[in-house]
Amino acid sequence: MARDLLLEIGTEEIPAAFFPRCLDDLKRLLVEGLEEARLEHGTAATMGTPRRLVVIVRDVAERQRDVSRDEVGPPLKAAFDASGAPTKAATHFAQKVGVPVEKLGRTTTPKGEYLAARVEEKGRGAAEVLPGILEAAIHGIPWKKSMRWGAVHDAFARPVHWILARFGGDVVPCRFAEVDSGGHTTGHRFLANRRIEIASADVYEESLREAHVIVDPAKRREAVRAAAAQGAEQAGGAVLDDEELLDHVTWLVEKPSPVLGGFDPGFLELPREVLVSEMKGHQKYFSVTAKDGSRLLPNFVAIANTPVRDPTLARRGFERVLAARLADGRFFFDEDRKVPLVDRLDQLRKVTFQHQLGSVHDKVERMRATARWLGEALGLDAATREHVERAATLAKADLVTGMVGEFPDLQGVMGREYARASGEPTEVAIGIYEHYLPRGQGDDLPSGDVGAVVGIADRIDTIAGIFGIGKPPTGTADPFGLRRACLGIVHVVLNRGYRFSLGALVDRALDALGARLARPAPEVKGQVLDFFRARLRALWSEDHPVEVVEAVLAAGFDDLVATHDRLVAVDSMLGDAAFRALAEGFSRTNIVEKAPAVGAGEVDRDLFEKPAESALYESFVAAREAVGKELGAGDYGAALRELVALRLPLDIFFNEVMVMAEEPGVRANRLRMLTEMRELFGRIADFGRMDLKRAGGR
Amino acid sequence: MLTFQDLILTLQRYWAGRGCLLGQAYDTEVGAGTMSPQTFLRVLGPEPWNVAYVQPSRRPVDGRYGENPNRLYQHHQFQVILKPSPKDVQEIYLGSLRAIGIDPLDHDIRFVHDDWEAPTLGAWGLGWEVWCDGMEITQYTYFQQTGGLELDPVSVELTYGLERICMYLQDKSNVFDIEFANGISYGEVFRANEVEMSHYSFQAADPETLFRLFDTYEAECKRLLELELPLPAYDQALKCSHTFNCLDARGAISVTERQGYILRVRNLSRVCAEGYLAMRERLGFPLLQSSWAKTAEVA
Repeated sequence: MARDLLLEIGTEEIPAAFFPRCLDDLKRLLVEGLEEARLEHGTAATMGTPRRLVVIVRDVAERQRDVSRDEVGPPLKAAFDASGAPTKAATHFAQKVGVPVEKLGRTTTPKGEYLAARVEEKGRGAAEVLPGILEAAIHGIPWKKSMRWGAVHDAFARPVHWILARFGGDVVPCRFAEVDSGGHTTGHRFLANRRIEIASADVYEESLREAHVIVDPAKRREAVRAAAAQGAEQAGGAVLDDEELLDHVTWLVEKPSPVLGGFDPGFLELPREVLVSEMKGHQKYFSVTAKDGSRLLPNFVAIANTPVRDPTLARRGFERVLAARLADGRFFFDEDRKVPLVDRLDQLRKVTFQHQLGSVHDKVERMRATARWLGEALGLDAATREHVERAATLAKADLVTGMVGEFPDLQGVMGREYARASGEPTEVAIGIYEHYLPRGQGDDLPSGDVGAVVGIADRIDTIAGIFGIGKPPTGTADPFGLRRACLGIVHVVLNRGYRFSLGALVDRALDALGARLARPAPEVKGQVLDFFRARLRALWSEDHPVEVVEAVLAAGFDDLVATHDRLVAVDSMLGDAAFRALAEGFSRTNIVEKAPAVGAGEVDRDLFEKPAESALYESFVAAREAVGKELGAGDYGAALRELVALRLPLDIFFNEVMVMAEEPGVRANRLRMLTEMRELFGRIADFGRMDLKRAGGR
Repeated sequence: MLTFQDLILTLQRYWAGRGCLLGQAYDTEVGAGTMSPQTFLRVLGPEPWNVAYVQPSRRPVDGRYGENPNRLYQHHQFQVILKPSPKDVQEIYLGSLRAIGIDPLDHDIRFVHDDWEAPTLGAWGLGWEVWCDGMEITQYTYFQQTGGLELDPVSVELTYGLERICMYLQDKSNVFDIEFANGISYGEVFRANEVEMSHYSFQAADPETLFRLFDTYEAECKRLLELELPLPAYDQALKCSHTFNCLDARGAISVTERQGYILRVRNLSRVCAEGYLAMRERLGFPLLQSSWAKTAEVA
């Protein structure tokens, strides 16, 4: 009969950032331990709060599985001496496997005959092996940061106070950090601070609920959500949705309880982002909006861990802390606005961007040059180009304001507000904010050219600069966020449909960096473009077969919009049987790569020997004209459909014509024709590289 | 209502009742109670140590000429060190909150993740800031390292921000309105000090003199260490640290130089810590044998 295993490690408050990772680690270690110990088990699940890490494994077997295994000993000739008596090697082996020498078996291998034995290992009772498994799992949790306490020599995220370990109704005796396991837990720190016997896993969650602890984080998260909504309701508003804050608060409380508070409505003149940051950033309060979400109300909901006896008392505290912070915020806002944004540029000289790449002021100079070039390359109108130039100049000026010093997250937001206050054009103000967009996956994109162009210039400067001093991202280490910067450029370019040469953009950025580069510009450019290729491959493989992505990238990616269009066109043709047949047939043109070079020259119709040759060529010439037109118009789907017409002639050609003919002139002519075809196809993708069997249809 | 000095008296009585020695404020300028030898040096090595003391703490950059309701050049920390950290220290700490009138059933008391690090001391620890209704009232740290040395046993440090707590208890929104003792306000006691010290920190301090002093204190510290006098040497290290803070407030140290000065102070802290530990070892770690340590089991 199997029994449920319950492990709860009771601790002092563990940092919210460690969850839920530490629970997953504990579960994994426990399950691995059970499996290594040959203990059959059912599903494993985690629960937890800031003060407890919990794993429940259902239906853990009573006994380990029995096993038998064959052990091979010394070679027979080394096992017995001339008189037939067992040697030391033989007796040693016999001892090791626990079988008398005379009962040892024999086994024949290609190398000869050996002593052998079958070892039967009887499974031990689960109760015997579980303590070791639990202790190893508790010891094994890989903490980002762990600590010691008192005179204890085991390390954990925070001090451990109790270990509840039940196997069915029995306590599993184990020990960690001088704490012996038992059959009890502890309730809520203030509402039920006492030992609570837990008879088995079945009653665990309910017993803790009675002790004012919601131990299931999913349920607690919903309780936090409900508590916040309930608080906002009292103010006649709605909670400003914030899943990130919800996650965080879930790991700060064991029993969420809302406290609705308010602040002086005069503070509502501060930018909304400032108010939300003040409430969320340090205090972890939820903001409250009007029911329709249109504007903030002068209210907040704090989620307390204790349903206090008199909420008005606690509320005053929560309000007071926020009021002091908002007063600080208003002070910064007022002080910052006394200085026009443009007057702050000089201060940027004192802010280091990266010591080899100079100050933020230097970066801004480079951004401006690159943004100016890009604005021209995109053919933006004169007024927009002027706004681009201005926004690039002012993009980083808010970094030296008091508000951004206090709330770094507000960079860009404050730039926008202060630009407005300084009388800058609206396009410039919005561009300053939007040049940071997107800040991450799924974030908004710039709504206009100003933010988009300045943002691209900013990111390419960072990427080219960091590669230029030889510090590209490695593994998980990407301190300058180059991967995100690269994806940011791609998303913005595709979203805005910007047509320009990526290679030329990198050249401009490298020009602007000039002497700051620690390596030759062409080398850096190669690395930067390889980096883009790798990011594009990863990004686009999420939605397209990786073989198609690679084939399309192999045909170049200098124009990102066109590259993406080609990808979509090829992918959408994968379901077309004729196209797949064409692509498969086309891979036979790879023969050109292995053949000796034929040198430049026109295809000569007079050298065709077989009808299949001229048939293919005539079809190709016709297709080339049509395809050329479609490519010129950027309609890659139509171009591909034109190419499909070549399928039949191509198949016939390869079936009937031997490319590598004896006669050098004929052979060269055939190779030239195939090369021309490859050039045309190659304008869309490297079909010769595309393995359609792997890519699959869609 | 608890006055500022009632608050101190209550905390002293509470911790003395739990086996703590009542220390007195250290008489060299420090930026935090942690820097007092009663913490920085005593947490080193195997000897037990339980102490509670008020430490006036000077932070030149935080001076606001007595005009800001929350910021001060000098504030007061109530510092508790328990070595080794007792198992139920959270509960003992919560008892001290009840003693000063903060009942966890009336207020939302929370232990919020906050790792502590002091680069100039080569010290770090893990713990929390303790929140009372969203306001930080105590810094609670399990020291893992000071002076670059691993600590074993581990000490727990509780640092109460006295002005903040008192503002909360007295429901005052301006620190200068706190009632210090019956009939006299915090402002009446300290405002003039704030004004003058801010003036000194931001305007009157002479950078050249300070730079010279820094070098002198640093040299003195090293000289004294060679004479195996870690205690006076540590005083010089503290003076270096305060001088650095003054230069910093005066805006005399550029961003690039800053790290260099921090490293110089850190280096002094490290050698002082090593020197102190060696000295206690030479003495045979006498507190291990003390009857005080044996009877003063915290709880």
